[in-house]
Amino acid sequence: MTRISLHVNGTAVERDVEPRTSLADFLRESCALTATHLGCEHGACGACTVLVDGMIARSCLKFAVMCEGREVVTLEGLADDALSDTIKQAFHESHALQCGFCTPGMLMAARDLLSRNPIPSEDQVRAALAGHICRCTGYSGIVHAIILASRRLIPVE
Amino acid sequence: MSGDAHSSGGWIGASLLRKEDARHLAGKAMFVADVRLPGLQDIAFVRSQIAHGRIVSMAKPAGAESRVFTIADFPSLHVLEAGPELDAFRQSPYPALASDKVRYVGQAMAACVAPTRALAEDLAELVQVDCSELPAVVDAIAAMSPGSARLFESWADNAYITRTISAGDLSRLKDAPIRLRRKFRMNRQATVSLETRGVVAHWDARLEELVVYLSTQGGHVMRLGLARALGLPENQIRVIAPDVGGGFGGKNRLLPEEIAVCAIALKVGHPVRWIEDRREHLLASVHCRDHHYDLIVSADSEGHLLGIEGDVHIDAGAYALWPTGSFMEASMAAGNLPGPYRIKALSVNTFTVATNKAPMGPYRGVARPGACFAIERLVDEVALHMGIEPYELRKRNLVTREEMPYNTVAGLKLDTGDYHDALDTAAAMVDIPAVRRRQAERKPGEPRIGVGFAVYTEQSGHGVVEWSKRKSRVVPGYESANVRMLPDGSVTIHVGVQNHGQGHETTLAQIAAHELSLDPSQIRIRYGDTATTPFGFGSFASRSIVFAGGAVGTTTRRLAEKIRLIGAHFLQADPKDVRIENGHVISQSGSVAFSEIALAANIRQEMLPQGMDPLLDMTGTYEPTESAGVFSYGTHAVVVEVDEATGGVKILDYAVSEDCGTMINPMIVDGQVQGGISQGIGTGLYEEIPFNAEGQPLATTFADYMMPCATEIPTVRIAHSVTPAKVTEYGVKGVGEGGAIAPPAALANAVADAFRDCKASFNETPLTPRRVWDAVQIARAGAAS
Repeated sequence: MTRISLHVNGTAVERDVEPRTSLADFLRESCALTATHLGCEHGACGACTVLVDGMIARSCLKFAVMCEGREVVTLEGLADDALSDTIKQAFHESHALQCGFCTPGMLMAARDLLSRNPIPSEDQVRAALAGHICRCTGYSGIVHAIILASRRLIPVE
Repeated sequence: MSGDAHSSGGWIGASLLRKEDARHLAGKAMFVADVRLPGLQDIAFVRSQIAHGRIVSMAKPAGAESRVFTIADFPSLHVLEAGPELDAFRQSPYPALASDKVRYVGQAMAACVAPTRALAEDLAELVQVDCSELPAVVDAIAAMSPGSARLFESWADNAYITRTISAGDLSRLKDAPIRLRRKFRMNRQATVSLETRGVVAHWDARLEELVVYLSTQGGHVMRLGLARALGLPENQIRVIAPDVGGGFGGKNRLLPEEIAVCAIALKVGHPVRWIEDRREHLLASVHCRDHHYDLIVSADSEGHLLGIEGDVHIDAGAYALWPTGSFMEASMAAGNLPGPYRIKALSVNTFTVATNKAPMGPYRGVARPGACFAIERLVDEVALHMGIEPYELRKRNLVTREEMPYNTVAGLKLDTGDYHDALDTAAAMVDIPAVRRRQAERKPGEPRIGVGFAVYTEQSGHGVVEWSKRKSRVVPGYESANVRMLPDGSVTIHVGVQNHGQGHETTLAQIAAHELSLDPSQIRIRYGDTATTPFGFGSFASRSIVFAGGAVGTTTRRLAEKIRLIGAHFLQADPKDVRIENGHVISQSGSVAFSEIALAANIRQEMLPQGMDPLLDMTGTYEPTESAGVFSYGTHAVVVEVDEATGGVKILDYAVSEDCGTMINPMIVDGQVQGGISQGIGTGLYEEIPFNAEGQPLATTFADYMMPCATEIPTVRIAHSVTPAKVTEYGVKGVGEGGAIAPPAALANAVADAFRDCKASFNETPLTPRRVWDAVQIARAGAAS
């Protein structure tokens, strides 16, 4: 076991973890933060995407011990985030989710894209989602939602 | 895509935004892996590394004997009979953990329990397994040759069942002016729900019952299977399906791991959990498709299709899954080969074959993607042979509106619709003349483009008649609903179907809102718990809106009638002079709120009409007035670009013209169509689990199993027609599967169209760059020689 200290959703957390424990398992099992979903555990589906020091990261590919001293934010930590609220509302209105399993990762990817590129083209949206699997929607609603959120954040004349 | 909440009060047909979204968007959903119970431990399985072998020994690691389980630890566990109730269907006993033999790579052999999954996997690595390897059976057609190795020694050959389906006058076929023979193959893939399978089970000592959290499409039926396997009465098993992250058919079978986890829970005295990982999912969850067709199509000189003859092999894998196995694949494949065409003769030998691969189960579309691929490719091949537009050949053969209801040669009753209109609409959407102009103007070196069509039907709402005909072990002929108005006038409805993304909490509330003239926000739909819901079969076969929609509608209607009677009593009016509106019973002189009526019905019985039973609580079942099924249908039209140098296919335009009868929520219908097509494109272009000669699967991660993402799947343009069904409530038909049926056929036809100058044939899915390139080289070599 290794003792790690980090911030999770703004709260200081100190825990003993096995060196092999992934950040995803740490968040889900040690911190009871189950919004972060595991769809493949090999970095392909994107459902486990979280923020580490403000950058999106696949929590299944990162060890918890790599996050010593870092700031980790999960979907639970974005409950009062205005940008996320706009995206979530757009997801709701665009029927961008069906079973909901991919949704936390999709929201993270959408937020990351719009914070870097507030007015993305459809191709840019699709490229930003290229590492995220949704089995239900066929992506159309998700793409629509992100463009809708973008328009609401920066109204075009 | 529509998205505005509807406020006019006409709830049937409103694109109401979904009630289930909020918890998912907040990260507050609960999937099986999110269930937390004190003392919970994880399970990891030891799985077979070989495709076929006899187990010589399995040794538990010293000191861990009480945490490692093999089938020998469960002498009283029953093996379930699975497959249709036909004597000709051979039994393939599938134990919860392998007993004497292993028959596919990934078959569960032992289970290890530890405080974490990582520790359980450590333990699994220490289990010593010794198997003597047997020859692997990996090709479904070769498996039927007399010399083939046998999966089950007591069987005379490797077929679960062999049947010939023959109908109509076959004598005209052999002298038909056009006779083309083609072979088609739709390869094996996985269902790939993004949430994998999962079970959490524990014995509740107070209630003396086994509580099973299960990611399933139908908890009641799974409980029946678990009860039989475990030897427990059903009233001592409670199955809870919380949020279920997609199923697509794959979660509609009881798999051995699920039985094993429950059996372990009964032994160890603390909660146990198994969450399938993605490798396990691709190895050992339900596999699907894997159809092989060798067919001759006959047509007259005007291109009227006369008949289809040939063989269909279904590679069904090593075992039949409870309850019904995959036997419907063969009969549905053969039965759907005539498609929506006026084909008068059919003679197909079907072989459902056991191979050393993971067992086959249902996947969105069940058999019809393969059948549609075969018939729609044949239509295009006849058109190519005659030198006419495939669109035109379809026009000559499609059943017309006037001919409906039309009994196909295979015995399906196509009930309502206008297939010609769907084809015309899709053709107009992709603009065939414009595509032909672009093809003509193409300069050397530019990518080729092609346009392809596929017409499909989607049987839904089929009940007793159809499932009995199929000799199904479970006959899902009805659905049920319990409708309760509580003392304050709010409504809770319990149903036996299982939402796993379809939006039932919204659509079923819309139906109840329509019947009660109430806002859907005051109606809560509950499901997924055998302790609280009436018996139901679950969600599959595009059945939920027909059956559960009907059950909610008819039961709520009866409740509304009782409300109306009480209201009339309150208003001292004749019941025929009062109506229900906006949460009130209204007469000419006054109105009374549901809340007052509900209060009386629940806690003030003395206020009710003389002799009336208390409570506003009704349970009802529903089946359509005819149970042979109602058919949704449509035409898919796709324009593709093909890179000649690589064989890579890119979709430029995808248009659908479809009719699923009355739409309860058009936004959700569009979502089903788009999502279904996405999966159909996966089948058509990307997804495949190949096996080598030793029966080793070659795609066990998302690195080698290609899943389509947002960069591969276009936004589909959808046109709707609405021809209400005649035998269902509100005229609804199912819509869950249709999207997945036609894309492989439409895509292959489009790629073939791009290469029609060299008459290359594209008859195997997925159409990987390699297969496309090979097909072109073969055609050119053939033309050159």
